[in-house]
Parts: sequence; C-alpha cells; structure tokens
Amino acid sequence: MSKKRTGVFVCHCGTNIAATVDVAKVAREMAAENTVAFTQEYVYMCSEPGQESVVQAIKDNKLDSIVVTCCSPNLHEKTFRDNAQRAGINNFTCEIANIREQCSWVHADKAKGTEKAIKISRSVVRRVNRNQPMDAIAVSVTRRAMVIGGGIAGIQAALDIANAGIEVILVEKQATIGGRMLQLSETFPTLDCSQCVLSPKMVEVKRHPKVKLMTYSEVQEVSGSVGNFRVKVHKRSTFVDPDKCKICDHCTEVCPVVVPNEYELGLTARRAIYIPYAQAIPASFTLDEDACLGLNPIRCGKCKDVCEAGAIDYDMRPQTVTEDVGAIVVATGFDLYGPENMPELGGGRVEDVLDGLQFERLISASGATKGHILRPSDHKEPKEVVFIQCAGSRDPAKHCAYCSKICCMYTAKHARLYKKHVPDGRAYVFYIDIRSGGKGYEEFVQRTMEDDDTLYLRGRVSKLYRKDGKVRVHGTDTLTGQNVEIDADMVVLALAMTPSKGTAEIAKTLKIGRDKDGFLAEAHPKLRPVESVTGGIYLAGAAQAPKDIPETVAQAGAAASKVIALLSQATLSRSPLIAKVRPSHCTGCGMCVEACPFFAIRLENGKAIVNEALCEGCGSCSATCLRAAIDVKNVTQMQIHEMIEACLA
Amino acid sequence: MIKLQDIRDTARDMLAKGEARAVIGYRRGSRGMLAEPAFLTRPEEADELVWDPTCFHNLSLYLVHDRKHLAHARKTAGAPVAVIAKGCDARSIVVLLQEHYFQREDVYIIGVSCEGTGVVDERKLAGHLNGAQAISAAFDGDDFVFTTAEGEKRLPAREVMADRCLECCSPFPKEHNLAFGEDKTGRQLEAPFAALDRFEAQGAGERWDNWARHFDRCIRCFACRSVCPMCYCDECVVDSITFPVTTATTAEEKASRIRWIERSAARSENITYLMTRAMHLAGRCTDCGECDRACPVNVPIRLLNNKMEKEAREQFGFEPGASIGGPSLVASFLDNDPGNFIR
Repeated sequence: MSKKRTGVFVCHCGTNIAATVDVAKVAREMAAENTVAFTQEYVYMCSEPGQESVVQAIKDNKLDSIVVTCCSPNLHEKTFRDNAQRAGINNFTCEIANIREQCSWVHADKAKGTEKAIKISRSVVRRVNRNQPMDAIAVSVTRRAMVIGGGIAGIQAALDIANAGIEVILVEKQATIGGRMLQLSETFPTLDCSQCVLSPKMVEVKRHPKVKLMTYSEVQEVSGSVGNFRVKVHKRSTFVDPDKCKICDHCTEVCPVVVPNEYELGLTARRAIYIPYAQAIPASFTLDEDACLGLNPIRCGKCKDVCEAGAIDYDMRPQTVTEDVGAIVVATGFDLYGPENMPELGGGRVEDVLDGLQFERLISASGATKGHILRPSDHKEPKEVVFIQCAGSRDPAKHCAYCSKICCMYTAKHARLYKKHVPDGRAYVFYIDIRSGGKGYEEFVQRTMEDDDTLYLRGRVSKLYRKDGKVRVHGTDTLTGQNVEIDADMVVLALAMTPSKGTAEIAKTLKIGRDKDGFLAEAHPKLRPVESVTGGIYLAGAAQAPKDIPETVAQAGAAASKVIALLSQATLSRSPLIAKVRPSHCTGCGMCVEACPFFAIRLENGKAIVNEALCEGCGSCSATCLRAAIDVKNVTQMQIHEMIEACLA
Repeated sequence: MIKLQDIRDTARDMLAKGEARAVIGYRRGSRGMLAEPAFLTRPEEADELVWDPTCFHNLSLYLVHDRKHLAHARKTAGAPVAVIAKGCDARSIVVLLQEHYFQREDVYIIGVSCEGTGVVDERKLAGHLNGAQAISAAFDGDDFVFTTAEGEKRLPAREVMADRCLECCSPFPKEHNLAFGEDKTGRQLEAPFAALDRFEAQGAGERWDNWARHFDRCIRCFACRSVCPMCYCDECVVDSITFPVTTATTAEEKASRIRWIERSAARSENITYLMTRAMHLAGRCTDCGECDRACPVNVPIRLLNNKMEKEAREQFGFEPGASIGGPSLVASFLDNDPGNFIR
C-alpha cells in the first residue's frame, strides 16, 4: 500500500472555533502526521472560497483523502464529501473532525481546548487512513405514501400528495376521519364554522381517485426503510357494510345498549351501533364490538332484523392488510391533559366543570344541545362562566412544562361565543399572560376583552368545589393583589395539549423518536421541522407540538412536499456505511440479531447475515458483539482502536 | 437425598443403549478427597461416578470443548452428550443454548439438585483442618462430615461452603432431561450478593486499594478464562496471539489484528483484561464460581462478575440462564427498561 496523502483543512468558524482553539497550532500538529501531505486553515471553510480551496488543494496536491476539522458532521459532512467528489476522489474518503460542538463550544481554556482539538483531529486523520472508497447503494423507490391519522393534518397531507399524482393510503383509528377539528364549533380568529370548512376536504379525500381510505384501522408493524417501507395495517371490523348502509338510523332506534359517546366527549350517550357525526366519512354506521350484547342473533340481533339494506354482518372479521409505501406522514394529533391529574381543579369529578373540547361540543350546532349553552347538571343556561387558562400547561413542577399555545386564543373565542349565546351572562378568564401572536389574533383577544366585556383576571385558580348548586372558584387577581371568589354556574378548563394516546406505541412501531414531553421529535428544531429522525417518515400537526389549525395545515403541506420530492426520484442512494460480518469470528450467538433496531440481521447456517437494504449503519450490532465479528464499514474495530490510541498518545 | 447408584445406573443405561455418545460426570480424583471431571464412553465405567460436596466443576465447559473438537475434526454430532449439571451448571447450558452454541438435542442434561448443600470451598476447609488431609466429604443434612487421617471432623455447612452456594437461590437445575434430588429453592443461607455487599460496604479508597493489590497479583495465566464455559471465543478480544487464521481469513482481517492490551502482567493491563472479561460476561455469568476457584493467586474474580449480575438484577430484573427463549441482557431493549443511569 503506497503512503496515504491526506489533506487537513482547519476551519476557524469565525471566532466560534478560533476563540477557544489555536487553529494554527492544530494545523501545524496535523502537518507533522506522516500521512498528511497538506494542511490549510481558513476562516470559514464552508464558504464558497473555502470550499473552492479544498477542491483546488485536492487537485494540486494529489490528495487521496481529506479531513475537515470544523463543526458537527450533521451540518457539513455532505458539503465536503461533495467537494471531494468534485475534486475527483471518492466522497467516503472525506471525514469530519468535530472541534466545535465537541470542543470549542464546551471549553473555555484555550490551551486545553487546543490540546483536545489536536487529539480529535489526529484521531480522525488516523481513521481516514483506513477508510475504504465506497459507492452509494442505489435502491428503487416505491411510489406510494401512507398518512397515519385522518385529522386535518392527515387529510391535508393526503390531498397534497394525491394531487401530485402519488397514491396515498390514509389510515385513521376512529370510525370517521375528521379528527379533533370535526369536534370544534367555530374557529378563531374568523369564527367560521369548523365543520363547514373541514367537511369539503373530507369529501374530497374520500372521493379522490389516488387516496385509499382506511378507517377504524391501526398501523401494526412497519419494516423496511426510506423509499421502501412495508406496513401492516390492522382493520377492525365495523360489522356494517358501508356500501349498503343507507344511514336510515333504524338500527339505533332498536339497539338496547347505551354507552357514553366518546365523539361528544361523554356529554351524551350513544348506542352500540352508531354513527359518530352526520358528516362522518365513511358515511356508515359502526357496530361497537365491545359494547354490543354479543354479535349474536340469539342474544339480541335487533339491529340486523330492522336493517332493510342488509348492511349488518355479524360475521365480518378484522383484516390485516399489508401495504408497500415509500414514505410515511405521521399525523396522530393530540389529546387533552387528563383533568384527573389536577385535583386542585376538581380532578375531573366536579359537576359543571368542563374541558375546552366539551365546551366546543356544547356550543356546536351539531352538538348535544344543538348549540344552546346549557350546563350539564340541570340543563339551565349558565349566567356566570369561569374560563381557566393554562390548566396543566406551563407548570413544570406538577404538570406540563410547555405552553399549549392555542388556549389563549380558544378561550377568548369561547368567551365571545358564550356572550353571543348568553348576552346577559358574565365571562371571567383566569390567565397567566396572553399569548396572541398570529395574524388577527391580538385584535381578536382585544375585542373579546372590550366589546364583549369579558373580565380577564391575571392569576391562577387555587381550588374549586361544588357549593349550593354552583362551582365556587378561589383565585387570585395578581394585578390588584386581591383574592377572588366566584360562584360560577359553569367552569371551562383550557387543558394542556398532550400527544394523543398511542403516540408512544406508534413512535416505537415506526422507530421515530419522541421529545421530553412525549411529542414526536423533529430531526432538527429549525432546519428540519417536518422530518422525523428516521428517513422517509415525516411529521404533521399536533403530534409534533401544540399548534393551531393554520400551522397544522402548513406543516401538513410541508410534509407532503417532502414526500413528493422523495418519491419523485427514480432511485434513492443509500449510505454504503453499513454493517459487515467477519464470518471467521462469528459464532452465531444471535445477539446482533436481537440488538438490531432495523431487523436487518438474520442467522444463516450459524452465521450472521446483514440485509444491506435494511441496515442503517447505526452500529448497535458492533457494540453488542463480544467477538468483534461485525463492524460498520469505515468505522471498523481497527479504526476505533487507532482513534483511541491517537487520543491517548 | 440423591442416591449415587441412580446416577450410575442412568449413565450405564444410556451408554449401553447408545443414547449418549459420552457421559460427563465426576469421579474420585487423585488429589485427596476432591472429585474431578470424568468422561465415560463405556457402560462399565459408570461405577466410577461419584456425587459429593466436592463436585464443584462446571461440566458444561466440556460441552464447549466437545463442540470445538467436532468443529476441528469436521465431524457432526450424532448422539447427544449426557452431562451432570447442578443448578448453576444447568443455567450455563441454558446461556450456551441461547447463544446457539449447540442445539438442545445435542445435550442430555442429567440434573442434580444441590438440595440442602452446596459445594465445599477448599480454601475455607483448609482453614479448619489445620494442615490435615481430608479423605472424603459427605453431607448429613445439617453438617459436612470430613474424614481425615485423624478421624471424622464435623463442620457446619455455613463455615465451609463456597460463598456462591451460601447465596444461591436456585440450586435445582430447572432445565433438564432427567433430574435427581429435591427442588429446594429459596434455601440460601445468605442473601444474594452478600459477599459483594460486604466488599462494597468499604469506602471507595479502601476498595481501590484492595483491587489494586489483587490486580497486581494477577499473573495472567488465563485460568479463569480457560475454566469458564462462557469464554468460548476462538479469539479472545484481549489476546491477539490466538488470532485464528482459517482459509476464510482475508488479508484485510490479518492486517486488522488489534492489540487492545499488552501481554505483560502489569496492573493497567490486568485491569483491562479482568474488566473486559467482566463486561463480556454481563448477563451471561451464572455464578458457577469456577474462575474464582481456579485462580492460583486468589483474585476474587467472582466479585467482579457478581457486580455486573447485581446491577442487571436491580436494574432490569435479569437473571442469566433463566430460560432458553428469554432475551439477552445487553442485546435486548424493552420499553420499561429503566433509564435512571443516564444522567
């Protein structure tokens, strides 16, 4: 093997690196390495002149490999690998030594920082000595997408993808699409009817020739990777044929079972056979297997007897459908923080204390009271209503640390709508502060305060309880410094938004990360806000963080455009830096098989075999193997050993 | 109580009928009263077998040897090998089965319950015999009875039993084809990890001084590795000298020999060796105590492995060798795994 000719390019990153690291010294030390043929330092290596100088230096000095000592490889690895290729050498002979995030940014002492930067750089120089030139692996792309969650985010993403001519499978857990938005009455700040703006989109997605709708279905298993996922979807049985169902409602008239209606958030009851809303899509009844007396004509069978369309089939079985898709959008939405976690606000057990979504149903024209505000306990019109913001939000000690973002706005909307329905009523709002950033938002809140004469009280509620047919609310008005006691007819809690139930499971199934609050984690908080950490899986809506409808729709469109861009490629190039088994060392113990999060390893004739299409090069196998029998290419045991040695020297 | 004759009859029968290629058991050794491993291939050898509190060897080691012999001779197995296994030994076999080292049908496990006893710790016994040589050992239900030239000496089990037996919670071999003796679980005389807890009760400085003394004494004879059924790698990660060069070995592999530690028995190198071994045994060590017993300079190796097992049990409720289909400690990830060690 002829001697390596490595070039080392030391970046100052302005003062980001140069303030804590003596970059000239790093360059001098690297020049002393016997495989290094060229060194250079520059103020911004990633700038156009910086990049050009790298390309020129490779050509002029006949370099066969380069090390750029700069920021995290997350940022500029691709930049410099592309430059290497442009200069005529293999892009995988370029490595990044991170002396910014892992060195200059975390140290203050320049002498020690420089010493560490030298060690880091030297270790990468030693590593690159043993890098093998490699070609990216080309894989074909499945030109279909899946959207998980049929709320406004999922519907929008599905429509945008389908309109680009790409087939989409829209999977929804509930019996109808529409999600949370379908439960809302009017939407801020324009006060247009939520169902009226949503239902055209629901109809469009249902009728779209490129959209395959799967309601009452859940994603069970996902294998494969970007460009080629294989998804198993479990479709629960509705026991009603949607093509035959005429929505005549005769079945619900005879059904003897009464259970709380989850679509009305328990404010009303429904039968075991039911349709969630008049606007439900698919427009069909669903038989709730858990509530039904037994799907058995001998035990009950009344609904089947009266169904003239013959749509009810007790023998309908759940199905598992396998779909191949190239990309996935996750739009699994939100739930409200459980009031049972908040004993100070009644723990969900005090009558006439509602949550925000229940209030939406109460004022919705399609809700249980047909839009008349009547409190649940005695169906009387409440004359004094207390709205409590930040119920569970912004309370790191006891509840959720984050701001749920939409509560200031929807509480203002609630107060306005309340005053519209009950002009002689009185609305109080307890708040910490008002966050009304958004087009027309601040004006909306101001109108609520001024035009509608809503009393905003800056402070928290310490306790509430039932007293003499009312709810007594103890709070503080911190602006006047006085304690406030209100005997309210009704209380509405603006509960914190939390990731929907099942987010943890879906994240695990899809192998995407979650943040500290359980929301789905984006790949980069600023630059990759709609991508998950796993390639080919995108995020939309409140599953990623609390957000309102316009933001949700925007993010769904962004996720869709990412999907379209991905699926517009004929082939994808996959990183060739994947695991490789050394068969002579492998004893077939199978620990790597168990450790692999991508199911990319199997045992064959007592030896581990890596599926190149599935391996992501994460190195879990390599870390687990007791016998060093499996390595990730260009991060071999030998390279790690030499890097450690370089650091210890 | 186990009748020795039953074990002998089983061995004789299996060999006579060709149901086993060989029976691995214990016979009287040439060194005083202590038993030694016996490898029987003919029915008439069955009467050599013994069963007493000196049968401390973990015979599953020889199943590993058998595999290696077969692989070198390029032979396939045929009939299974029968092996006498105590609770800890049977758990070792389970770990080997989990790691697909051989198949379940390749081994016939003759389980023997340690019942109310365990095995003798030679060093503890020597302290009680004042230089006398014991000729035989027995257990009468309460005490060990040792026969020496000067007569019988009775010693309470607690005083001469190996630490691991005092702490053992599962002396019955759950995985077996045939088992002798009663399933007396939960009969330990001391709490699990009692010896380790005593060691850990010292201050950090004291602990380090102790280990420094032990690591300095290690002569790197690798007896601990040779006697351990889990140390079956062809090439030990700390020892590049035994790099196996086969026809499949590529030039690239030959070039990537890594010497993680030096061969000299210096403290730093000894630490690296013993720590690496402890890490590699995490979730695999069934506490048979053979490394500890085999050490010629009395390094308490068992404490290192025990520390890993204690962590595994406290953090993950993990017990090595509990079941063949169970997960492995280091390769499995469960949703309810605690993350409190990540700070």
